[in-house]
Amino acid sequence: MAVNTFKIQSPIPNGKIPALSRGIEIRKTICSICNPLSHCGIDAYVKDGVVIKVEGTGENPHNQGTLCSKGAASRQYIYHPDRIRFPLLRKGDRDSGTFEPISWDEALDRIAGELLRIREESGPESIAFYAGYPKWMRPFLKRLAHSFGSPNYCSESSTCSAGALLASKLNYGVAARADMSKSNCLMVWSTNPFYSNTSAARKLLDVIERGVHVIEVGPLITPLTSHADIHLRIRPGTSGALALSMAHVIIEERLFDRKFIEEWTIGFKEYLAYVQQFPPALGEQITGVSAELIQRAARLYATTKPAAILTGPNATVHHTNGIQNHRAITALIGLTGNFDREGGNYVAPPSYLYVVNGVVTRQAAFEQSRPWEEMAPRIGEDRYPVWCRLIPEAQAIHLPFQIQQRKPYPVRAVVGFGINHRMWPGSDFMCDSLKKLDFFVDVDLFMTDTARLADLVLPACSSFERSELKFYPEQYVIWTSPVIEPIGESRPDVDVILDLASRITPEDALLKKGYEGCMDWILKPTGLCVSELKRHPGGCPIQHVRMPPYQKYQDAGFSTPSGKMEFTSAVLKEMGFDPLPQYREPNFSRPATPDMSETFPLILTTGARLPMLVHSRTYRLPWIRYLHPDPMVDIHPMDARERKISSGDWVELSTRRGRIRVKAHLTETVPSGTINMYHGYPGADVNEVIEPDYVDPISGYPGFKSLLCEVRRISGKAKDSA
Amino acid sequence: MATIGFQFNGLRCSGCMACVVACMDQNDLPGGGPSFRHVIRIERDEYSGPSIDFISISCHHCDDAPCITVCPTGAIYKRSEDGIVHLNENICIGCHSCLMVCPFGVPKFLDGKMAKCHFCTERVDRGLAPACVRICPTGALGIAPVEK
Repeated sequence: MAVNTFKIQSPIPNGKIPALSRGIEIRKTICSICNPLSHCGIDAYVKDGVVIKVEGTGENPHNQGTLCSKGAASRQYIYHPDRIRFPLLRKGDRDSGTFEPISWDEALDRIAGELLRIREESGPESIAFYAGYPKWMRPFLKRLAHSFGSPNYCSESSTCSAGALLASKLNYGVAARADMSKSNCLMVWSTNPFYSNTSAARKLLDVIERGVHVIEVGPLITPLTSHADIHLRIRPGTSGALALSMAHVIIEERLFDRKFIEEWTIGFKEYLAYVQQFPPALGEQITGVSAELIQRAARLYATTKPAAILTGPNATVHHTNGIQNHRAITALIGLTGNFDREGGNYVAPPSYLYVVNGVVTRQAAFEQSRPWEEMAPRIGEDRYPVWCRLIPEAQAIHLPFQIQQRKPYPVRAVVGFGINHRMWPGSDFMCDSLKKLDFFVDVDLFMTDTARLADLVLPACSSFERSELKFYPEQYVIWTSPVIEPIGESRPDVDVILDLASRITPEDALLKKGYEGCMDWILKPTGLCVSELKRHPGGCPIQHVRMPPYQKYQDAGFSTPSGKMEFTSAVLKEMGFDPLPQYREPNFSRPATPDMSETFPLILTTGARLPMLVHSRTYRLPWIRYLHPDPMVDIHPMDARERKISSGDWVELSTRRGRIRVKAHLTETVPSGTINMYHGYPGADVNEVIEPDYVDPISGYPGFKSLLCEVRRISGKAKDSA
Repeated sequence: MATIGFQFNGLRCSGCMACVVACMDQNDLPGGGPSFRHVIRIERDEYSGPSIDFISISCHHCDDAPCITVCPTGAIYKRSEDGIVHLNENICIGCHSCLMVCPFGVPKFLDGKMAKCHFCTERVDRGLAPACVRICPTGALGIAPVEK
């Protein structure tokens, strides 16, 4: 054996071992780079007040010591040179991008002065309050807006999870989540938890190893595909037709739950008649999935008990027929009697900030400090009345239209927390709209392209620099303490909200109690209090919590107008929409717009996740860019060959609205005829090529995931050797 | 102490690359890379039923490590108690010989010297998992005694 035994005592590389003698201490915090369903516990290794390493908190049952690539890059996130360090006042016009530092007091006084003046002149509704990422300050911002008198609290939920919630509410009055751990068949519909929620991915792998049947639905190949019994690789935007076709099989073969349907549903007869129009042969024609595979999937889902449908937060509703498509999907749950059943789709309300763990808090009461009736109609209420009936916030996608058109009333100011115009379809239209505002404030960690447009930019701190309460679905809770001093003069978002509140809505007595006082008020029904939680720096299990029972509808009915599951929605009927989960082609598609598809023959689907990116939030971190250096588009090799495109070529992706330049990635994970473009790149923002009004008519949700495009190689650009 | 090595379960790897970044965080590696661990993506084409698989690779701390044989200065050596292959940067001359013979392209060139995975020795000696193993969200990576 050729082993060098001449052993020189080389210095063993620094292992950053926590020890008093080395001055390295572990302090507990959480990551808040992605969404509240993750927010993994973090052990920050701190030396001389600086984080020198992170790892997942071992005792936190949610992430069990693990992190994803984004959380692993936390140090580059919190210490990034683009962090805003001082409150900044814009000098010059909105395009100048030049600012001067001012004091916090001066900044807050100026903001308060402007907001009070605009309220005096145009009413409180002319000021919109918007929450993007992170999401921890949302209840406080909503309360601030309503206490101030504005109905216009809106958020990134206007394109995120609220659309699927809306669709489920139309059918059942509530959302019903996949009871994954107890299920024997999982139909995973257009979601990739491996890249969007890694802690859920671990649980998914555990149930797969237990032997659960997996049906994957979605056009893309994902890490789940090799585990799936059946993969239904649909054409983007045709989920509704697939679901109706599966229902056709389930009904024709008498695999539905007759008892549940007779006792607990309305509109089955109409649904039955409608479903008759979607035999598997037609399903195949519309979706591209063979009739035989549709039948096999329908039988597997309907005959394996219990079976659950796991949908993503929004991929199914990011279509111009998104809400009805999602209604068609979730109708299968009731049809097969899997609603609110163990191992099926289970109903449990969120406790705080979207997390379901059986705890009951007063979040909703805290947020809604003024009833809707005492405020003006919300932004989007005229356009999307169904949204405003079922979702307790304004529809932010309509915000740029109302800024521009000033109807039914002008919106003159926006107070944004982590607002990013690249979220909007036609993001340049949103950008232009923000420039038209009389007053615009953004509170953010980084000087983003959107922050640059603001009159005042306030520096927010990261989760490492603040205290916050965080619940986990595993009946675990943590109250964090700052692990490092704030960067520059940055402050917690909630503190900024409370300081604004004391200036613009001083009559709100509850907000005067501070973050801890407010959290104690919200937590009152739980028996938890902040002072007790502070005694557990790494978090603690919540004692004596019981999850709600299954089949609650047997006592309480459904919170729909009829009190039953509605195959035909009374709300939709009242608002002038088709009450059935009607299938329509994507507004821009070969069947709907054959002329357009002459020029733009490829389907464009956008917004799928990559494991190292969450929207645009980590793109600026060098370790992340090492993994993913350039904006990238997935192209099938056959489509590429026709266009003489090789992997690594720079290509122009164009739609009717515009074009962007992006690097080609040849892959069969995307079906031929479909282009998969990732979102949020500052230099190649795909939302710029999507019309601002390319939306679902019921919810206002953008049709991000199915439209038409073309790609062509840009000549003269050298092929990248990577 | 028995010889130890990395364990990898390809059925659980999702290619999330947390291990790659954890290594960079642990070792203060530069923004633009390299990392001592990388993830290979393997795509099967439509004829065999399209799917993607991933392999997370770092130093295998080979039993009979060619990098040790070729190193002209003897900078690379095997720790006798557990078989971890170390690189002594004090006497490394950055000649790339180790990189050329490594079947897995493990050694990296960094600041004029070669550098490689050291199995987070200091951590492992104290019963802690290497950074890449600790972070792995799907449980695909592990460490175990090597069976001979």
